[in-house]
Amino acid sequence: MGKFKKWMSLALALIMCIGLLTACGGGNNSKTPEPQQPGTTTPDATPSTPSTPDPAEIAASGFSEAPYITSLGTYGAVEDRLPVADDIMVESVDAAGNPLAIGVYGGELKRSAGGGNWDAGKPVEEGLFRFNTSAEVEPNVAKSYDVNDDATVYTIHLREGMKWSDGEPFTAEDCVWFYNAVCLNNLDGKGIRNCHKDANGDPAVVEKVDDTTFTVTFGTPKYDFIEALVVDLKWHYAPKHILGDICQMILDGKEAEAIAAGKELTGVEFSDSSALGKETLYYFWNYSGIPTLNPFVLSTEANKNNVKGEYYEFVRNPYYWKTDAAGQQLPYMDKIIYTTVQNVDQTLMLLLDGTVDYQTIAVQDAPTVLDAENTSGTKINLYEWSGVEWGSAAHQLHLNLGIADANKNALFNNADFRQAMSICVDRVALASALTDGWQDAGQAAPQEGTLGYSEEWSKKWTEYDVAKAKTLFESAGLVMGSDGFYDFADGTDFELTIVSVADMGAADTFSLLDTYYRAAGIKCNFRDYDRSYIDNELMAGSLECMLYPVTPIGDISIALKPNSMIPGYATNVAWYGNIKEDTATGDLLELINLKKQLDQTADADARNDIVAQMLKLHEENQWTIGYVAATPTIHAVNARIQNFPDGLVWSDIYRDMGVAHCQCWFIQE
Amino acid sequence: MLKYIGKRLLMFIPTIFIISVVIFFIIQLPPGDYATSYAAAMAAEGEIMTPEQIEALRAQFGLDKPWYIQYFSWMADIITKGDFGYSFEYGRAVWDVIAQYLPLTLGISFVIMLFQYVVSLPIGIYCANHQYSVGDYFWSFIGFIGTATPNFLLAILVMYFIYVKTGTMYLGLFSTEMLQNGMRPEYIPEFLGRCMIPVLVIGTSGTCGIIRTVRAQMLDEQARQYTLTARAKGCSEATITYKYCLRAALNPVVSGLSGALRTIFSGSTVSAIVMNMAILGPVLLTALKSQDMYLAGTIVLVQAILVVVGTLLSDIALAWLDPRIRFSERS
Repeated sequence: MGKFKKWMSLALALIMCIGLLTACGGGNNSKTPEPQQPGTTTPDATPSTPSTPDPAEIAASGFSEAPYITSLGTYGAVEDRLPVADDIMVESVDAAGNPLAIGVYGGELKRSAGGGNWDAGKPVEEGLFRFNTSAEVEPNVAKSYDVNDDATVYTIHLREGMKWSDGEPFTAEDCVWFYNAVCLNNLDGKGIRNCHKDANGDPAVVEKVDDTTFTVTFGTPKYDFIEALVVDLKWHYAPKHILGDICQMILDGKEAEAIAAGKELTGVEFSDSSALGKETLYYFWNYSGIPTLNPFVLSTEANKNNVKGEYYEFVRNPYYWKTDAAGQQLPYMDKIIYTTVQNVDQTLMLLLDGTVDYQTIAVQDAPTVLDAENTSGTKINLYEWSGVEWGSAAHQLHLNLGIADANKNALFNNADFRQAMSICVDRVALASALTDGWQDAGQAAPQEGTLGYSEEWSKKWTEYDVAKAKTLFESAGLVMGSDGFYDFADGTDFELTIVSVADMGAADTFSLLDTYYRAAGIKCNFRDYDRSYIDNELMAGSLECMLYPVTPIGDISIALKPNSMIPGYATNVAWYGNIKEDTATGDLLELINLKKQLDQTADADARNDIVAQMLKLHEENQWTIGYVAATPTIHAVNARIQNFPDGLVWSDIYRDMGVAHCQCWFIQE
Repeated sequence: MLKYIGKRLLMFIPTIFIISVVIFFIIQLPPGDYATSYAAAMAAEGEIMTPEQIEALRAQFGLDKPWYIQYFSWMADIITKGDFGYSFEYGRAVWDVIAQYLPLTLGISFVIMLFQYVVSLPIGIYCANHQYSVGDYFWSFIGFIGTATPNFLLAILVMYFIYVKTGTMYLGLFSTEMLQNGMRPEYIPEFLGRCMIPVLVIGTSGTCGIIRTVRAQMLDEQARQYTLTARAKGCSEATITYKYCLRAALNPVVSGLSGALRTIFSGSTVSAIVMNMAILGPVLLTALKSQDMYLAGTIVLVQAILVVVGTLLSDIALAWLDPRIRFSERS
């Protein structure tokens, strides 16, 4: 694992350059990006990648299908359901480039869930393009793309002969209609995504060329369109043959007719046309009757198709367009079944007795999970992935830099104060006491193996030095009061109000931190609140200080997903509260300006330089203070599940569990 | 008697109206609304909503209007169309959501209540008839243990010991196979086994109260002069106990039925969450936390109505059970 991490950190730095070069191309007016073949990765980044199977060679030896599909006898020959031979996507390696075993058909993946949405959607999602875990864009639903020299016209090529899960042809019309009818009219509640806006904020023009080709044209150069598409929009299509009429009814103002048609299609009576549009076009996987391109589709059987019910199942898509290297149509498993739990922690219990096959777990639970074999006979394997959090999620101190109180605002924005708050804590003792030795001391900084990691940063302001902290508090403008605690220079009391969410266990962290803070002369108080209260206060940007993950401070890329890293890009980030471009000053404003500069920069080196500058600003300012280092994401997987990839990165951009490509998993009891 | 019932029914309407206003006011009292809760939930899953999208969601659900406008619109739909509104969280009509969970909620709650009365009444009578005996102390001790131990803790302990002993985690009333294939005869033994856990865990908590009430009431009644008279006239002990004393001793037990109706509707929330039972209690908790106001409002409103109805029914039952109440009404 250590070797892997070292390799990953080196590879990721290189890959971001290569990935952006692939997308930009036009900067030197000399290259048209070469679209990659399915399943391949850049040779420099993944030297161990085996050679890509040729779909034509596989076709020559014939395709096969799941016995379950054959037994139904209603779907015809598998060759007729797959795209044409050259356009079939062959899954031969995992997202890290490691070869996949050839699997066997049958069985079901048993999961627990809290009610649909992304938990069920991400694992089966099929975007137009997708990332591998080296931050490279791979073709997926789309076969390839071309871009002109100035990055204003992108031509997307689809796979010929590809079909929806109901057997109807999937064509460029589905992609073009989705943008022109759905996005431009905001029928899915999301409207025009940032990926489709040019530098002036004007929407792109999307036009059909033929059944397998469409173009996306921008008024100004759009250098990162493909990456932004993967992050912002992902799929860029919807089944026009099913939803076209309903959408037209909504556009024509025939709401009652649209709702009735929606009910006939999904069995659900939506409250209004907005809900109908959003649920069927954005959260489409949650509703049976809507065809998808995903490997598994929500069952149409009664009592198995309500994602808000106690049980539901996603069944294999007989028209799925990927095969393995032996020509077997994917997915291998027949179903993913979901049993709803009242509390997510119960999934761990169900994992232990084999009722559930897969769950991410806390590091502390690893011994219990491994012991399950002795108690219930369930053998569970653990897989370790890197995460994207900067420091331990539960023990980060988020000071609201945009707080209304003038004294506190000035103090929180003073780097000396933040440094003092960091070094006045013996984080080695803290980490040991809180995690029983499971986690190391650390700072809020990118994890090893992810973009931006540096050892220097991970150790910044981590020494334990109370005397120096006191000096820094004083240089930040605080004065020692007669009660032994620091006050503001104008004589008013300073007391730090820290909050967290009741179920995060932050009260234990605070009880230790409080000891250190008080020893350094900082008076503070703490209170746990219900999550909904915290969420609401976060939205209002009114919390003073939080001990909580909120959203992870970092994602895999500050450039592609700036939400929690650059002010103004999200509405629920504690450390920048309500600061936006018009209220930001100093380095925060510089951070925002760098992002804007990045959006208008073509040259790959220059873009990488800007990204490095943005990360450097975070490193210099250390706006969020971490005390305990992050832990990797631990996946507990029943030993009967094969082809589960090890050593990937858990990130929303990679679609969390989706990057594990569950269509390639198979069961061997 | 009819006049008495009529008067109580008339009081019913303003009571429910006031309760509904208070419920709606309190539910919307915490800062923020469903739109902010939803945006935060989506953010936790990686989907970031813009302020414009949150505002659009607010307008879509009518959350941008003052609470009293929302209340009157909700009430108007209930009265005129029987429409209890839309659950934001479930994306379905409120009554559809309640109907989804109601059968299991009623079933399990009724069985638990039945268990409590079937177990407690005989024990209460036995303890009264054998005051200060070993049996009296033993059953009182068991009852107190049941009451003193929090249900959720008892549930965790029971599930843990079953897991360690059998290697199976009995979470929920239905196994995956039952959910997948529907209830079949071969599943019934396992289903009954799974039902035993919530019935024992939740049921034992209520038994002690009933045992102690029946015991105390019975002892009171046994000391009354009419008991002495009956005994002097040569009535059998069984007649004295069951025909005279028990009938009078049941008054406070019957009064407790008003609260039981409400409990039957929602079930035991915390225990249901711990034991993974899909009943209305956890649904209400989730709705309150996410400010799914029409769903939460409807469940609480129905509970309130059931309390009022339950009180009415228990009063009628008391009047029927105890002639003194009927006589005092007439006079």
